[in-house]
Amino acid sequence: MIIEAHDLRKTFVARRGRGRTEEVEAVRGIDLSVGEGEIFACLGPNGAGKTTTVRMLATFTVPTSGTARVAGFDVVKEAAKVREKIGYVGQAGGIDDNAPGRASLVMAARIAGLSRAQALARADELMAAFSLAEIADRPVKTLSGGQKRRFSLAIGLVNRPPLVFLDEPTTGLDPQNRANLWDEIRALRDQGTSVLLTTHYLDEADALCDRLVIVDHGRIVAEGTAAELKKEVAGDVVTLRLDDLAAARALLDAEPYIKETQEEGGSLRAYLDDGEHNLPALLRALEAGGLAIRSIALDRATLDDVFLKHTGRSLRDAA
Amino acid sequence: MFRHTMLFLGHELGTLRRNPAWPILGIMQPVLYLLLFAPLLTSITPNGTLEEALVVFTPAALMMIALFGSMFAGFGMINETRNGVLERLAVSQAWRPAIILGRVAKDMIMLVLQSLVILGVAALMGLRIGLPAIGLMLLLMAVTGLFAANLSYGLALAVRDENGMSQIVQFFLLPLMLLSGLMLPMSVAPDWMQTAARFNPLYHAVEAGRAMFAGDYSDTTIPIAFGLFLVLGVLTLTWSVRSLRKLAG
Ligand SMILES: Nc1ncnc2c1ncn2[C@@H]1O[C@H](COP(=O)(O)OP(=O)(O)OP(=O)(O)O)[C@@H](O)[C@H]1O
Ligand SMILES: [Mg+2]
Repeated sequence: MIIEAHDLRKTFVARRGRGRTEEVEAVRGIDLSVGEGEIFACLGPNGAGKTTTVRMLATFTVPTSGTARVAGFDVVKEAAKVREKIGYVGQAGGIDDNAPGRASLVMAARIAGLSRAQALARADELMAAFSLAEIADRPVKTLSGGQKRRFSLAIGLVNRPPLVFLDEPTTGLDPQNRANLWDEIRALRDQGTSVLLTTHYLDEADALCDRLVIVDHGRIVAEGTAAELKKEVAGDVVTLRLDDLAAARALLDAEPYIKETQEEGGSLRAYLDDGEHNLPALLRALEAGGLAIRSIALDRATLDDVFLKHTGRSLRDAA
Repeated sequence: MFRHTMLFLGHELGTLRRNPAWPILGIMQPVLYLLLFAPLLTSITPNGTLEEALVVFTPAALMMIALFGSMFAGFGMINETRNGVLERLAVSQAWRPAIILGRVAKDMIMLVLQSLVILGVAALMGLRIGLPAIGLMLLLMAVTGLFAANLSYGLALAVRDENGMSQIVQFFLLPLMLLSGLMLPMSVAPDWMQTAARFNPLYHAVEAGRAMFAGDYSDTTIPIAFGLFLVLGVLTLTWSVRSLRKLAG
């Protein structure tokens, strides 16, 4: 295990103005274990505590309580050792706007202990890998969001870390750049690097990650592979709009093929396996009950349904 | 540790070299003071010559850039608390004090270079002082910069807000300046002001500068000024490194 965390907690004391303070429980007891060579995701809405968790694991923030070992070292007592083993790309990017990307990259390499010649070579290597060579000598503030993001990533990898933390690596990128970044992250795993990333995109956690945790209000609400988590809910989901939600829910709960129902934002979601075959039966049951359907849709269950099951809210409007 | 400080210094100097306009603008104000204010002082010097006035006023003009230039050094760092640069450096292998020290060293070097320009202007106007005085004065500028820049970075990291920081700096600058004898020697001030001035580090720096320029190297204000700024420099550095740690909440 490259990351092992037990009961991590962080309570911030935030100023509220006029000398008053307020305690914010950002993380309320998180256990994590991430294996070597794994892409692991923390999925959660805004304010869930993803950044705070990553910052504690990356030795930036000292936990209020709990312990964590990263690459075999304690994040508090052996922070310096941990820092040698990790790459960290924060949510804000963290590149010097006034310097050209190349200068920042070489600088980061030298801080990591490389000689000038080695640092130049490492910078060239990373710039080639992330197609940055052509824009390497322009001040970073003149680059596009995607180009900056690639530079941040390159800087995070400068010391060839066995583990990288990527805090919302694809937020704000267009679909093309996002797909490219996914490929780059997969390439990292294929070289044996472990990746812990945070995201609030369902499809990203689903498609990119080997394993994930879903966090909400500072706690883990579900953990496993995307397939396992979705199987826990059901294979398919029927979303219904009708006038009498409560009656429809009672009626469907009594049907043998329905595993679970949830009301969400004026519609009813009914979970079932083998939706294509059970849909006709569901329609007949509603008709027999005299309930008029305004609209109906059949979809595969997603991680959002997992989130809904555990929190009663949809991730799309949880923020 | 030293290596990391030099690395940060190199990076900062690189940025400065790519955009040297601001430090050049920064010396315009003291140069104008030399040109347009020093001549007014001839009325209070014993023989009424411009050279006497320059001996009194050039150290003050130098301290002006030490204060006005370096006290604002931290502004650039406020943005770095938000754009994640400091966060990244804090979890890198960098020795943390080097993050601050590298920048402070850049500010000290800039200050010494600016001082040379101002001394050049003063020399053109007729100031004649020996090499030891120049050397000592540049050293004094460097330690003043050490203190002022560290203080500024500490403030930036503690306040983390451009408006708040500029209010605080403005709030302190004016009384510090008025109680240092920067414009007129404190010897013309009433007793209570002279007493108050003793608690102002800048006053000692200005006095030490004037003693050096007058060739009075045995004056006690000189060791007092150096000692004071070295101690204050170390204290403010400790404070800013602490504030760096607090960034994580
Ligand atoms: N330095 C801090 N001081 C006070 N409160 C903080 C601090 N950092 C985070 N918080 C609070 O802790 C909670 C969790 O924040 P965190 O940044 O970890 O969320 P997140 O999951 O990363 O959200 P996002 O998706 O918006 O990035 C929030 O309520 C936030 O306001
Ligand atoms: Mg975040």
